[in-house]
Amino acid sequence: MNHKSSPAWRIAPGQRLLFQDFEDGVVLFDALVGSTHLLDASAAETLAIIGEARGLDASAIHGKLLERLELSADALPLATVEALLQRFEAMALISVESA
Amino acid sequence: MTTGDLPAAAFASRMAADGVTLRIPPITVRVRSDVRALALQLHNVYRDYALVADADFADVDIRILRERGLRRWDSKQAHFIVDGTTPFDPFPIEHALPTFEWGLNWVFAQRMNMWLLLHAAAVERDGKALLLPAYPGGGKSTLAASLASRDWRLLSDEFAVVADERGTVLPFARPPAIKNAAIDVLRAFAPEISFGPVIPNTRKGTIAHMRVPRASLELGDAGATVGMIAFPEFQAGATIAVARIGEADAFMRLAVHSFNYDVLGARAFHMAGALVRSCPCHVLRYGDLSDAHAALESLARTAVTA
Repeated sequence: MNHKSSPAWRIAPGQRLLFQDFEDGVVLFDALVGSTHLLDASAAETLAIIGEARGLDASAIHGKLLERLELSADALPLATVEALLQRFEAMALISVESA
Repeated sequence: MTTGDLPAAAFASRMAADGVTLRIPPITVRVRSDVRALALQLHNVYRDYALVADADFADVDIRILRERGLRRWDSKQAHFIVDGTTPFDPFPIEHALPTFEWGLNWVFAQRMNMWLLLHAAAVERDGKALLLPAYPGGGKSTLAASLASRDWRLLSDEFAVVADERGTVLPFARPPAIKNAAIDVLRAFAPEISFGPVIPNTRKGTIAHMRVPRASLELGDAGATVGMIAFPEFQAGATIAVARIGEADAFMRLAVHSFNYDVLGARAFHMAGALVRSCPCHVLRYGDLSDAHAALESLARTAVTA
């Protein structure tokens, strides 16, 4: 889905995300549909940030991610995070915060 | 009383009349059949299983009956009936034993959702279970059967029945179905193994069922705690290769190899996580049973001393 302005994000209504952290990755359980996904650190942190602070847009999420992962914007560009958010939305893990 | 305590003819008569009830830990299975050859084959490969007398309850009621009709006794087809329903097409009478085994697997996978069911062979020694999850053709049945011919207890060649988050694995030991070239491989590896009939032209090729060693049945319903997980990958002619894998990798593999992960949902998610955290996980590529045994013995020693 394309959004004209930068949307704010939330965990999708009715969704419950469970995480297990391992040294070689994070495993996510999507309780809404019962599927399991293997995530890297940036993907897992993105969902964690959205879960902790509802209503952030991509830029704010990006800023928090860089801080938590101690990365530069060159290493993790905003466009990568925006693409990740789109993908999570398609998977019904997150949704756009309604006005 | 075990199946073998009854003469074969008496066992077959009872099976044709009222049926027989077998304790196949962790469940009780009632079987009735008018296919005498099946009764004699079950009497052979289930020889050391307990017969339940006057069973008021069975977890599964299976009937394998000749196709009805004017020439019923000449029929070359039979039906698999479970609790009064017929989930499969009729099958050739001579495939009755493998159909019984596949049918019981199907029922178990469909219904026993109080446990996490992994598509894995499982063996045990000294209270520690080794799980061998694999895709069909991965060599898990042959490897488990060969281990059971040594000093491992066969828990199952098809299901790892995980009962709780502590990693307790229950037995569901049934005659491993050895297929095609693996029959002769296993015979050469362990000549003492007793097989049922060699049945050609099944949907999985030629099959022979190994009689579960009596020693594997002596502990009855007792479970074991997972001590090691190895994902076998059989490749003819392959040299042995063992690679440790990470917990997240192992988790995702277990989820794929589960029959009822989706049914159990969050509970399965937590159980699978507890399993991979509790023990080392490896991929085991092998082309020779002796090499696989040596590799597993080495891993088991490392796991014990770790």
